Order: sequence, then structure tokens, then C-alpha cells
Amino acid sequence: MRIIHLMDVVRATSLTDMSTPPGTSPATPSGAPSGTPPVSDVDLFADDVLVDPYPVYTELRERGPVVRLPRNDVYALTRYDVIRAALADWESFSSTSIAFNPMANQALTGTSLASDPPVHTRLRATLTENLSPRALRGLKGRIEAKADALVADLVEKGSFEAVDALARAFPLEVVADLIGFTGHVRDNMLRWGQAAMQVLGPMNHRTAESFPIAGELYAWCSEVRAADLAEGSVGRGIFDAEARGAVPPGTAGHIIHQYLGAGVDTTIAAIGNIVALFAAHPDQLHLVRRDPSLVPAAFNEALRYWAPVHAWGRRVTRDVEIEGTVIPAGAQVAVLFGAGNHDPGHYEDPDTFLVPRNPVDHLSFGYGPHGCAGQGLARMEAHAVIGALSRRVERLVVGPEVRVPSNTTRSIEELPVLEVIPA
Amino acid sequence: MRIVLDRPRCEGHGLCEEAAPALMHLDDEGELVLDREEFDESDGTDAAAVTLARAAVRVCPVAALRLT
Repeated sequence: MRIIHLMDVVRATSLTDMSTPPGTSPATPSGAPSGTPPVSDVDLFADDVLVDPYPVYTELRERGPVVRLPRNDVYALTRYDVIRAALADWESFSSTSIAFNPMANQALTGTSLASDPPVHTRLRATLTENLSPRALRGLKGRIEAKADALVADLVEKGSFEAVDALARAFPLEVVADLIGFTGHVRDNMLRWGQAAMQVLGPMNHRTAESFPIAGELYAWCSEVRAADLAEGSVGRGIFDAEARGAVPPGTAGHIIHQYLGAGVDTTIAAIGNIVALFAAHPDQLHLVRRDPSLVPAAFNEALRYWAPVHAWGRRVTRDVEIEGTVIPAGAQVAVLFGAGNHDPGHYEDPDTFLVPRNPVDHLSFGYGPHGCAGQGLARMEAHAVIGALSRRVERLVVGPEVRVPSNTTRSIEELPVLEVIPA
Repeated sequence: MRIVLDRPRCEGHGLCEEAAPALMHLDDEGELVLDREEFDESDGTDAAAVTLARAAVRVCPVAALRLT
């Protein structure tokens, strides 16, 4: 029996775009003051909440679809339907405040992440030109071969630390090769990627300590030139696109910044979660072993069960009424993907990990115009890892998982695999 | 009822094709092709297709599909 130290890797990741359409407003529930959302003294970014937010998510969700949190100065969206609607409604839920501190929002100004249509539409097209499933089709075989070789090697070893040896090693290698990173940049990817997510939190000590590191990433991306990136890489392709005018002048570095800032820490979290969940639920691994067509379902369920991103910001552009209560114009919103993913109003038995439910509509990639731009690559990586694990592993015996608080990304910091029972 | 594709928004994730392969597919270039766009909700024989169409619209991760 495995002990879980629920000490969460608190990486503050804000990956989602949330523009929730408030939808229509049903009558105010009796007992609630008309127009005023319920209030909670929860601090979303307290260490214990970041390590294990799910009890707090339940409490908030039961209190209402929108709950005001004075300690964070935000209105939290807690239920599935409200979150999905907000993410689709970019006109009411602006992305100009996806972070929970003004410095980070300021720094993100002009990126697709932090802009609204029509500007967003153009920036997004530039960003996804080389990142969409369409653009990445040719990489599938290479990524699968890499995952299979890595997993085969770990199975051979018999015991390993799953976060460093797999959850971090694999996406770092994929993204480094994709963008064409070489030398010292490769060595900095992990800390840069973690810092880029951490600084999206409120101005706490984690954010303050991470700003200088996120600044290193920003500085490098401002200076990187085509010649710094490996020939034939997607990163080099972005510079080629800039040279022929397909990408506005001076934007190639910013695009690479987003690939690295958004695509490393979150994918690491998802892959670490997959290993931990398969170890804890050998019956679910067995289902995938028996029926490989369940690989995508396993990834969807892992993302639903443990969202890699804790809270993502939006700012309401007008008074938004949700089920009889009002979020006032200009207020900061916190979208709680994990709370929506465990909403019993949407998923039956939400706190149970069940691969066959295949929750294709989970909220962990966000939804709508700001839906995760790298989800095609993330799927390719995770499907490759799940496929390799299910072919090569019968069961994993793991030691206690270690989590540390992080503002945005919720991931496992250490997961010792003590024994592999090979397939 | 009609499925409408916001072409510039479509990034080719392909989840719609998985949900409703009878109605749409990604071509060799990864571009989405709608093989059926019009549905008659009053015609019982179209009920299955309408269900598939709703599922395809629902799973698009970037909300590039809608029903009118």
C-alpha cells in the first residue's frame, strides 16, 4: 500500500484561457442575498491548498458556482458548466488578466495568451502555425520511438525516480529537439519553464523568487537568433517564417518563449500524474494493456482527475450575472479547472479514476479561443508514454510521492518507482 | 440544422472526427472536411446523425464548430 504525501509541487501554472459566458441567470437561490455571490475565507494559494486543492474545491463548489474570495481578491468559478461557458465567452471574460499579479500581466501584454480577439486571432494563428496537430503530424513516429526507448530502458533498470527520469526527461527532450535548443539553454529549460508558470500567481514569495528566473528566459528569447537553433528544427522554422514575412518582424523569439513557458512544466505534471495514477490503480493500467484503443481515454481521465493547472485568471469586462449573482465589471476571476473537472453535476462519481469514462470534454486544456495551443503536442507526448507503459509494464510498485506547493502548476516533485513488474 | 465550421479557428485536433467519423474527416493535409453539413431534425432517420453532430461540436477544444 502506498503512502501519498500530498505535498504538492506548487507550480503556479496558468494555462487556461477562460472566458466564461455567464449564460442566463436563473432565479436567485433562496437564502442567498440577491445578486451577491457567497464568500469564503479560503486562500487559494496557501501551501496546503496548493498541495491538495480538492477538498477546498468541493467546499467552494458546494457553496456556489461563483464564490468571492476576499483573501485573493478574486471571484472563483467552481462548477463545470459555468467554467466552460466562461472560457467560451471572451467578450465578457477578458484574458488581459490571466495572472494574479499586475507585473506578470504587464509582461504578458501583446502575447496571444493575454489578448482578446481580434488581436488574439492573429497572434494565435502565428503561434499555432508550427504547433498545430497539422504542423506536427510528421513528428509522431519519432516521439513514439523516443518514449518507447526511454520506457524500455527504465523497465530494464527495475527502479527509478519517475519524475526526473521520465516525467521531466521526456518532454524536455521532445521540446528541446522541437525548438532546436542546444547547449546551456537545454540545461535551463526546466527552471525557466517552472518559473514562467510560478510568476502567474499572486505576489507571494514563490512569485517574487521566480521573477528573476523568468526574466532570464525572457532575456534569452529576446536575443535568440536563427543560428542559435538546430537546423531543421521547428524553432528554426519560426525564424524562417519571420524572414519571409509570414510572421511579423521580431515575434519569433516571443513565440519560442511561449512554447517553453507554457509547454514544459504542464506536460511534466501530466506525465508524472500518469505514472502515479497507473501505480495507484493497476486495474486501470490493466484495462489499457488489454485494449490499447483506451490510450487517449487514459490521458483524458488523468487530465480530468488531476488538472495540471490550478487556477487561471480572467477579468470581467461588464457586470456578469451567473445563476442570480453578479460578478461586477472589472473584477478578477479565478477559473478552477480541477473544481469543474470534479463537479458531480457533470461527471458521475467524479472522485474515482476510471479510464473507460473517457472524459473528452475535461477542462484541463481550457476551452474555446484560448484553449491550450500546445494540446496537440501534449497529446502526442502523453499518448506515446501511456502506450509504452501499457506495452511494457504489468505493474509499478512506488514509494511515497512528494509534492511541494507551487502557484500555478500542480505536479509531483518526486515519485520513487521501487519495482517494475514487466509485462 | 447545419454544422458551421469557423475555418480559421480550426487547428486540426481531430477530436470531431473521432466523435463523428461519418460526418467529417481530416484530409491528407490535416484540413477538416465536412462530409455532411445539413440535417433534418424533423426526420427521424436523421436522429443518429444529429446526435453525432452535437457530439462533434461539443468536443472541439477550440470551439471551431457550431450548430445553427
